[in-house]
Amino acid sequence: MDVGRRDPVTGRTTTGHEWNGIEELNTPVPKVVLFFLAIGALFCLGYWLLMPAWPLGSTYTKGLLGNDQRRIVDQEVATAKAQRAAWLDKIQALDFAAIKSDPVLMQDVTKAGHVLFSDNCAACHGIKATGGPGFPDLTAKSWLWGGEPEKIAETIGIGINSTNDDTRVSQMLAFGRDGILDRQKITDVVTYVRSLSMPDAGSVESIEAGREVFAGNCVACHGKDAKGMHEQGAPDLTDSHWIYGGTLQDVYSTVYSGRQGHMPNWNARLTPAEIKLLALYVGQLGQAK
Amino acid sequence: MTKLTVTERQIGLIICLVVAAIGLAMAAAGRGEPFGVQGFTVLLLALALSGFIIARWDAPPPDRSLLEHYYDDPTKVGIVLTMFWAVIAMFVGVWVAALLAWPELTFDAAWASFGRLRPVHTSGVIFGFGGNALIATSFHVLQRTSRARLPDQLSPWFVLIGYNLFCIVAASGYLLGITQSKEYAEPEWYADLWLVIVWIVYFLIFVRTLARRKEPHIYVANWYYMAFILVVAILHIVNNLAVPISFGSAKSYSAFSGVQDAMTQWWYGHNAVAFFLTSGFLGMMYYYLPKRAGRPIFSYPLSLISFWGITFMYMWAGSHHLHYTALPQWVQTLGMTFSLVLLVPSWASAGNALATLNGAWHKVRDDATLRFMMVAAVFYGLSTFEGSFMAIRAVNSLSHYTDWTIGHVHGGALGWVAMITFGSIYALVQWMWKRPAIYSPKLVEVHFWLALSGTIVYVFSMWNSGIIQGLMWRTYNENGTLAYSFLDTVEAMHPYYVARTFGGLLFLLGAIVGTYNVLMTIRQARLERGVEAGGEVDLPLGRPAAQPGE
Amino acid sequence: MADLHRKLERSAIRFMLAIIAVASIGGLVEIAPLFTIGSTVEAAPDMRVYTPLEVAGRNIYMREGCYACHSQMIRSLRDEVERYGPYSLAVESKYDHPMLWGSKRTGPDLARIGEKYSDAWQVAHLNNPRDVVPQSIMPAYRWLLRTPLKTDDLGRHLAALRTVGVPYTDEMVANAPIDAYGQSAPDDDKARGVTERYGKATHVRAFDGNPGELTEMDALVAYLQILGGLTDAARKTDQTALGE
Ligand code: HEC
Ligand code: HEC
Ligand code: HEC
Ligand code: HEM
Ligand code: HEM
Ligand SMILES: [Ca+2]
Ligand SMILES: [Ca+2]
Ligand SMILES: [Cu+2]
Repeated sequence: MDVGRRDPVTGRTTTGHEWNGIEELNTPVPKVVLFFLAIGALFCLGYWLLMPAWPLGSTYTKGLLGNDQRRIVDQEVATAKAQRAAWLDKIQALDFAAIKSDPVLMQDVTKAGHVLFSDNCAACHGIKATGGPGFPDLTAKSWLWGGEPEKIAETIGIGINSTNDDTRVSQMLAFGRDGILDRQKITDVVTYVRSLSMPDAGSVESIEAGREVFAGNCVACHGKDAKGMHEQGAPDLTDSHWIYGGTLQDVYSTVYSGRQGHMPNWNARLTPAEIKLLALYVGQLGQAK
Repeated sequence: MTKLTVTERQIGLIICLVVAAIGLAMAAAGRGEPFGVQGFTVLLLALALSGFIIARWDAPPPDRSLLEHYYDDPTKVGIVLTMFWAVIAMFVGVWVAALLAWPELTFDAAWASFGRLRPVHTSGVIFGFGGNALIATSFHVLQRTSRARLPDQLSPWFVLIGYNLFCIVAASGYLLGITQSKEYAEPEWYADLWLVIVWIVYFLIFVRTLARRKEPHIYVANWYYMAFILVVAILHIVNNLAVPISFGSAKSYSAFSGVQDAMTQWWYGHNAVAFFLTSGFLGMMYYYLPKRAGRPIFSYPLSLISFWGITFMYMWAGSHHLHYTALPQWVQTLGMTFSLVLLVPSWASAGNALATLNGAWHKVRDDATLRFMMVAAVFYGLSTFEGSFMAIRAVNSLSHYTDWTIGHVHGGALGWVAMITFGSIYALVQWMWKRPAIYSPKLVEVHFWLALSGTIVYVFSMWNSGIIQGLMWRTYNENGTLAYSFLDTVEAMHPYYVARTFGGLLFLLGAIVGTYNVLMTIRQARLERGVEAGGEVDLPLGRPAAQPGE
Repeated sequence: MADLHRKLERSAIRFMLAIIAVASIGGLVEIAPLFTIGSTVEAAPDMRVYTPLEVAGRNIYMREGCYACHSQMIRSLRDEVERYGPYSLAVESKYDHPMLWGSKRTGPDLARIGEKYSDAWQVAHLNNPRDVVPQSIMPAYRWLLRTPLKTDDLGRHLAALRTVGVPYTDEMVANAPIDAYGQSAPDDDKARGVTERYGKATHVRAFDGNPGELTEMDALVAYLQILGGLTDAARKTDQTALGE
């Protein structure tokens, strides 16, 4: 060992080297450092024995505990499922009316429904389910395919114009782009349609002309009274709720270019019980209003 | 520049012209595309530098007596570049922080979106700010502790300027949309290749200077700088292996995919932290802290343990970035266990630094420069403790993907990396420009408190948001369903994002004050040139040191 | 020990060799076996490659730095599986050069985002997230809709990917630009080649709602809609049985 100068502050000797004025003391490694190194090494050895740890060519040591993160989570998820089954099975088994009349069960519906809805549906329908341009307001009670919970659940499961084989299919034709109606006729029918929910939508002549165009082209889907038809998924045009907006420009575009909203099918992502629960949750939102 | 010999000027010019030609070729091959813009950038910078050399072509050749002095010009320029990158990159940091609080605070332009600005910030601080600081200080430390001059005058310039060219190409590339997407290794294949060349020259400077050293032993600071240079080279080359779609295009595809790529990337990413942000800066600390404190290193045996402990164990720890992922669990086990034991050499380094201050604590109280270094050592200890803690699988299951990681990063980055750099630079500026003191010690004090409070605000807000976010993601209702949607957590983060932006702003202000102080010190030195007022006492070059006991 | 080191620290070269030796071990032990241990990447016979349009979209995803906010790695933890779907398997990113697992979730995980939302929603959301999600802090990517997609070099992209191990056929490489166009123009003749080469399940749609024009939006949405859909392996009930 080098024996250098003695440092007056600590009383230790230096190593005897010096680099541009910097010296080092020969203070031995503090015991705690060695202690913790030893503890650490022991811990590692133990942990390696118990857990999957070391590679061996084409395999690895599996560890005495047989710990496997994938099996563990599979089990946890299964256990959680079993725990939820206590009430989720009831939802699955009972009919809608029975569930609705059970306030305890409905509490679970609200709790679980809120997060399921926010993580899956809110992107389109909004966190309060009030919709947005192109995405219907689910609180409006102006249903395209019927507002009975069974119908809603079916819609959620198979989707609308979705990639599912059983999907509900609907289409608003492109009357302008496909040359079915000319501009004047479209303007008239738009005026008429808007007049159903807005008193001062346009001139009486235009409304009357529009009424005729409507009778000739639209009643098949929207019905004589323009109140929509659930079999076609065609909306009620007499209420003040618009999926695609109610300004002259919006409605004109709807009739000119057509619409075909796409609601994904959720039966591949959610369980039947979850879908049922969402249908209840969504139905309830309308009521709260 | 006037210190370069005629041959060095000639070679320098040739290099510039070669680089300009490469730039021209890139510009031609990538016409109308981002790759072409990169080419133009290279071309312009190389031409500007050529012009600079030509303008000084006729300056008289330097006299031989020059060789009796250390060669510090690259270090001086490096210091200024360090401060420049600090301000730019931290400004971008504040901007991206603000974008997360107020997403509309942007332009309808691709370059101004969060995803492109974020790597400008990370590369800007790590490579621009951190890298320049390491290069500048390593040249200084290497010469003093070897008592040897740099081997020639051209290669240090090549390293410094070549490295900054890399940084500029990288950062402007992100804005243009050029990226490999590998965190901290985003630059594309041509920038990666260029960095390899620069790095080899950097390595050779070290080898050649050490070969000519007058001190028999290599000082600890240089062990760390060497580990930094060597290991970063290995990491960089392996992780960036890629196949370009053509030599006329910026795009390349990584040689690795999926799980192997993930492991390679985080073997790289974690050790970029270890050898860039830790080893290199420990090298810095091992010189400037004892020097400024006027104290010997507390323990040489402790240095030994910490150096080899860090060098060996860090390389195993990368898989703690991949807990519970599709990476096989055995690798996660190794990553976790080594990360835990890693705490011992890490705290040994921090402890060694703090114990070195024994007998100099009164200086810490009075001298903000030394206090920067002291606080840096404390934050180094804190963030390594936190890191080892987060490497535990159960903890990581909560912290991963959240702002907790960001808090940990900035505890290390602001508290350790930036503080040790500012401390070292304040000491170095005064020595380099031969001043008795920095322009304004008061402003150093101001900078210190801005930096410290900024760091604390930043780190605490991210700890809060990270832990809240992590907990919200896994909170269950009593009926066994998730209690919060993802969107709930996005909304809950807002106040913390505002607080973080404020903390970052404080830190940025500190950096601006520091830059002003450095520039004013330089200006003062220029104004009073000839009045050699003080500075570091360097032992003379050339005389072998007497080594008692050998 | 200390004396030995005293010798070592007198030789720069030996010191450096020691650093390289000591630092290499960890990486070698942890990375090399990932290529030799068979169970590392699960078997998934139904795994398909990305189409040229999806490759282009993936590159846009990288270019815009989406990975800075979105992970594509569902960890094997209960809450993640319940929120995002089955945990990610290694095989799912087997053709990802590089992987995009991510390290930060400022936004939700996207590993299984494919087909969760409609194309129209994706377009509206990317164009300005706050139009559809008022609480969002995600940037607006308005330029995607107005920027035509560059397709002429897609063949070279596929060729480079083949060099690093993705099994593209000569035909796929040769038809890359045409297939990119065809995938977003369902009524065009060019669409047929896409399903022939990449399988019937490939999405052939006017992703951005405008079949006439191939934009960057088409590519990015095509990529998002296939995430989690390259193989069904993860959805098989007993995940642990795979590959073991
Ligand atoms: C990608 C966007 C999107 C998502 C996500 C989405 N929806 Fe829809 N949803 C729509 C659109 C669009 C319509 C209307 C379809 C139309 O215009 O014909 C719709 C219609 C509906 C309807 C039918 C309304 C009626 O009047 O009959 C219900 C019920 C519904 N959604 C519930 C849900 C639920 C529950 C979820 C989540 C599990 C969900 N939606 C997720 C887009 C979406
Ligand atoms: C083939 C059936 C069909 C015919 C014929 C039809 N519609 Fe529709 N219409 C629909 C469907 C289905 C929707 C809902 C589309 C959606 O939500 O995506 C719709 C939606 C609309 C809307 C948008 C409502 C809103 O809330 O934004 C308007 C307005 C409308 N139709 C007007 C008309 C007019 C006027 C005509 C005749 C010129 C017409 N429709 C003929 C099926 C039809
Ligand atoms: C600043 C961070 C940030 C960036 C960058 C970012 N996102 Fe997002 N992203 C979010 C947030 C926050 C959400 C959740 C709120 C929302 O739905 O907008 C989100 C949601 C999403 C969703 C819906 C996910 C779901 O399950 O609801 C998709 C898809 C998406 N982003 C794609 C992208 C793509 C593609 C890019 C890049 C072009 C990108 N994001 C860039 C933050 C970001
Ligand atoms: C003014 C001070 C700074 C501010 C305001 C700031 C802000 C930010 C922000 C907002 C992010 C993105 C976080 C996210 O995606 O959620 C970030 C990331 C990052 N910053 Fe900073 N930063 C600052 C200084 C620094 C410094 C000095 C360094 C390094 C020396 C640094 C290193 C990093 C790194 C490595 C990341 C990436 C973290 C990760 O991916 O996990 N930052 N910073
Ligand atoms: C003993 C030392 C350390 C250990 C064991 C450690 C461990 C960790 C862990 C577990 C993570 C989180 C990974 C994740 O969940 O994604 C992390 C992230 C990070 N740490 Fe450390 N850390 C240490 C020291 C440091 C220091 C000193 C810095 C200096 C700046 C630092 C910088 C970072 C960065 C930048 C990241 C973010 C990586 C990313 O996701 O982009 N770490 N570290
Ligand atoms: Ca790179
Ligand atoms: Ca990260
Ligand atoms: Cu790490």
